[in-house]
Amino acid sequence: MTKVYRDFWGRKKIHALTNLNLTIERGEIFGLLGPNGSGKTTTVKLLLGLLFPTSGKSWLLGYPSSDLKVKNKVGFLPEESYLYKFLNAEEILDFYGKLFDISKKERKERIDRLIQEVGLAPHRRRPLSQYSKGMLRRIGLAQAIINDPELVILDEPTSGLDPIGCREIKDMILEFKRQGKTVVLCSHLLAEVQNVCDRIAIFNKGTLQVVGGVKELLSQKDVVEFLVRNLSDADIHAVEAFIKDKSGDVLSISHPSSTLEEIFVKIIQNHS
Amino acid sequence: MVILAIACHTFRDAIRKKVLHVLIGLGILIMVITPFIPTSGEPDARLKMVFVVFFQVVLVLCNIGIIFLSAISLPREIEDKTIFGILSKPVSRMDVIVGKITGFAFLSALLLAILSLLNIVVIQYAASGIPTEHRGILKAREEFKPSNFSIRGKIHHARGGIAWIEGEKTGVAVWSFTDVNKKEGYRYSPEVELNLKLESSKGFTDVIPLMIGMENPVTGQGIAEVVPAKLDESLTLHIDPAIIQKSDTVNISVFPVLKTDYMGVTPEDVKIFSAQKGFASNYAKAAIITFFKFLLIVIIAVMGSTYLSAPVNIVSALVVFLCGHVLDFMKDFSLLIEHYDIHEHILPAAQRNPGSLLIYVDYLIKKPLEWITFILPDFKRFDCLKFILNGVYIPSETMRMSIGYTAVYAGICLLISSLILRKREFF
Repeated sequence: MTKVYRDFWGRKKIHALTNLNLTIERGEIFGLLGPNGSGKTTTVKLLLGLLFPTSGKSWLLGYPSSDLKVKNKVGFLPEESYLYKFLNAEEILDFYGKLFDISKKERKERIDRLIQEVGLAPHRRRPLSQYSKGMLRRIGLAQAIINDPELVILDEPTSGLDPIGCREIKDMILEFKRQGKTVVLCSHLLAEVQNVCDRIAIFNKGTLQVVGGVKELLSQKDVVEFLVRNLSDADIHAVEAFIKDKSGDVLSISHPSSTLEEIFVKIIQNHS
Repeated sequence: MVILAIACHTFRDAIRKKVLHVLIGLGILIMVITPFIPTSGEPDARLKMVFVVFFQVVLVLCNIGIIFLSAISLPREIEDKTIFGILSKPVSRMDVIVGKITGFAFLSALLLAILSLLNIVVIQYAASGIPTEHRGILKAREEFKPSNFSIRGKIHHARGGIAWIEGEKTGVAVWSFTDVNKKEGYRYSPEVELNLKLESSKGFTDVIPLMIGMENPVTGQGIAEVVPAKLDESLTLHIDPAIIQKSDTVNISVFPVLKTDYMGVTPEDVKIFSAQKGFASNYAKAAIITFFKFLLIVIIAVMGSTYLSAPVNIVSALVVFLCGHVLDFMKDFSLLIEHYDIHEHILPAAQRNPGSLLIYVDYLIKKPLEWITFILPDFKRFDCLKFILNGVYIPSETMRMSIGYTAVYAGICLLISSLILRKREFF
């Protein structure tokens, strides 16, 4: 697909996406990475029919993306929480549920379950205007999966969330995968993508630069890493000497540390 | 289901808007204080004022509120990007338009129902202070149009669709009516209403004597009498029920008594009113027709919102609303210039022709007016006040015409909206 934005007079202004050719497999978590303006959100909007391609076509779950029926199987969380702030959590989920023509009984069950899952049960009757950014993100995620979709498209899902919230969202994304759902994740946060995605595509200036499995892309074939517990300093020196003896370059010898996220989550959970 | 969901959501969003509360509050306040405003002249002036204020002030305020809300609804969704949440679901763009329109139709219906019921209470209160014989405005008489119109004798001259008859029986205008007594529930003495154009070459005069005959051509039964008719005022006479008892046909013949007087006539100038019907059902009809007027402007505002930004759309919808009401006036203006010589009998010869400036203005505005009339909606079609103020039962034809007009206009607007929104991208 190619998408060119034109000005009022129809003159070509910005090449938002150039010759994108990409297949996302069913059941995988696929990350779209790239700096601002690289074409990630444009790709998502093209898939959802919010924008029309200048050339090319796209298919979702085997159907043309312009087919309304396929949207019954798709969930979408936009970049920002574009929600009706005068409604409360229950009402907004009910409204979106109605758009999928879900029966009243089924809607009620799903709303109760989703509000519980995103941790908003104590705030279910509060208008969204009183929600924090993180709470809006959670209810946004709940609306994206109200239809139990086969494909979930998440645009910056952890934007505005605290580390606990980020961890919960990550866990939810991994749970989607366990349920057999396909997840498309747009994010700036490389660590987030690295932790959850099976495959990634990196965009720059509207062009797809790289696509492949995360492990495959990150692995350094010429570097070997040992993770060893209970080794004395003398033994470490002996191992280092052995490697040098075998013509290997020792790049670093260090004690591994936890991530800041792990420590933060541990502290908060211990005090709550 | 999807359309209903969007409609209910739109209704819910609109009903909480402060601008609507303020306009409705203002409308109710005006409606409630109207019966207490001092009036002079006719005994039923207060009652008439209640109707005029309701239809021309309260409902217009309401309409402006609805225009405002329907004009901003979709642009606001696009601006706030909440439209992403709807269009990423299995919802077509047409569903969004129809849902929005349905939501505002709900709102219009609710407002009209509440305000109309409140107005009926105000009418009852205003009517309670008026003697029964002056409550004619609360009637709902059925109107009969003439089945035949002819002029016996000489026409002095004809211009602009009006035939002028000189006095002293040189010509007699005759309107024939049939089936005036066939309606069920007949319990009302028929009335004949004459709206004639009268002039005198004697100069300024207030009253012109007319010879008016009412005769049943089948039985030969009838009466003829001289009746003083005031200039620029309609004349109402009762028909003796005995004349139409055996046969349903009646001829109304009229001519000016004096040679110096002139009478201008058209087939529509004389009507018979008979078979009184319920005021409540007539009022309900007026409310329904008004609802279709609301619906039409909502459709136009929503159509505009598929392309225009909120402020521009508000202005354009209000302009359409205004023009839709003054089209008639503009057409009348053109007609007035064209037939400047209608009152030639009382004008000196030098003044009989319109000024060159007026002809130039007429030439300039005529074609654009024709186009505007063709494109813009004619809201005068929904005018029920003229029936209510005359105590006339709103003909079913008027109702059918207003519904049909709305349907045709709505169909065209929906088609245009669909074409525009189908091409629209949401960045």
